[in-house]
Amino acid sequence: MTAANKQASRYDPAFANELYTIENGHYIKQCMQCGLCVVTCPARHLMDLPPRRYFKAIQAGDQEQVLKANTPWLCTSCNLCTVRCPRGIPIIDVMHGMKLYLAQKQGVKSAPGALFSKTFFDVMLKRGRQWEAWLTQMYFLKAGPAAMKEAFKMMDVARPMVLKKRLPLAPAKTIKNKGQLKKIYEKAAALAREGH
Amino acid sequence: MAYIFYPGCASEATGKASFISFEAVVKALGMDVHGEIPDWNCCGATLVANAIGDFAQQAIAARNLALAEKAGKDIVVACSSCYLNLAWTNEKMKIDSKFNSQINEALAAGGLSYGASLQVRHLIDVLINEVGLDKIRERTIKPLEGLKVACYSGCQTVRAIRRPDFDDVEYPVMLDRLVEALGATPVPFPLAARCCGGSQQFTNPELIYDLTGKVLDCAAENGADVIVTPCPMCALNTDAFQEKIAKLNKKKYDMPVLFVTQLMGVAFDLKPKDLALQYNIVSPYKKLAKYGVKK
Repeated sequence: MTAANKQASRYDPAFANELYTIENGHYIKQCMQCGLCVVTCPARHLMDLPPRRYFKAIQAGDQEQVLKANTPWLCTSCNLCTVRCPRGIPIIDVMHGMKLYLAQKQGVKSAPGALFSKTFFDVMLKRGRQWEAWLTQMYFLKAGPAAMKEAFKMMDVARPMVLKKRLPLAPAKTIKNKGQLKKIYEKAAALAREGH
Repeated sequence: MAYIFYPGCASEATGKASFISFEAVVKALGMDVHGEIPDWNCCGATLVANAIGDFAQQAIAARNLALAEKAGKDIVVACSSCYLNLAWTNEKMKIDSKFNSQINEALAAGGLSYGASLQVRHLIDVLINEVGLDKIRERTIKPLEGLKVACYSGCQTVRAIRRPDFDDVEYPVMLDRLVEALGATPVPFPLAARCCGGSQQFTNPELIYDLTGKVLDCAAENGADVIVTPCPMCALNTDAFQEKIAKLNKKKYDMPVLFVTQLMGVAFDLKPKDLALQYNIVSPYKKLAKYGVKK
């Protein structure tokens, strides 16, 4: 294979087409590469690919770059790019769609954000409400020893939170009609699968 | 106008002080708030859509809208993230008929429906546009003269529905007007609607140190005595992470962070238990002492 061919094979239109069909994925086609999202994003300096380049990589079908980029996991949902985008792309929604896609394709342990989001959802669906102290424990239990070591560096933040009752260790209230919530979720998830 | 309250999960933990002071301020102003939405559930915050997608999260959020509609009252929300999820889902229910029918299909699985008849309003919006600044000025017993305040609206507060809402999407001013009505002085605060890093404390802590650090720097450089915010996540990051960030940046901030309803409580001369200042991590007592606040 010549160098030029090797370069060409990096770009797979089928990959771009696949991503256009995920939830909110079709918006990616609207990107005209103006870069306003990049100057807007508060997390751009930590991203492997800032939003503009991330969208270009998707449009080009650059599977390798897209699959390893941390871009969506750094999105804080601050919504600033979404209100500014001149093409009306709801970038926050596209990022949600990408995170769901990546978690399904690569597994929830492929990124800390994927595991934390899944754990948050599991606790929420089971109880109907969030219980932050339990969420934290569950997350680090699943994340493993390396993550737990990192967590200990956060003890200086956690200690005053517990002392000031900002992180109650006692179980938070649950909702009464958990079955109803679960049924609504299951139906919605089925509808979402049919939808794209 | 009659409202029903959506407290959100933070109201029982990191934002407990917001919940307590909200209830006290509602009473002090004689607002027509008829308790909580019965059996409300988590709105999904900024995380659930990552795990199940936007549509399924919005169906879960819509359960709250359906329950509130049964009670026949518009919803008031104090938490910015809850506001985003409820107000944006509500907006889509009103403007997107396909979305509306699909969400109702999901709700029907739980025996519910939502006719999109309600308004979802942020607390700041209700305070300014329904209660009114005159009434807040009138109720102010201890004007907070000389108190310099960085009014941190937060990002999701003003961008929930992705179009101009009750305030500017980039440079909000409503919280400043509210703080002025309490007799305090809002300082220039260009980061008022910039992100604190949100819920990535464990997954990308550098982001929190960086963004929350910038917010703290901006408040300090503009001479603020305290930061005031309606958002539990903004409050948590700027308050609980303040000492850690100060160490990392080799700075000293001494910047108490109050929920807007806590500051209102001080100006309204409410009882210490209504101010809920014992939940604050950076102590606010010294800076509030001249307004009669005691431990």
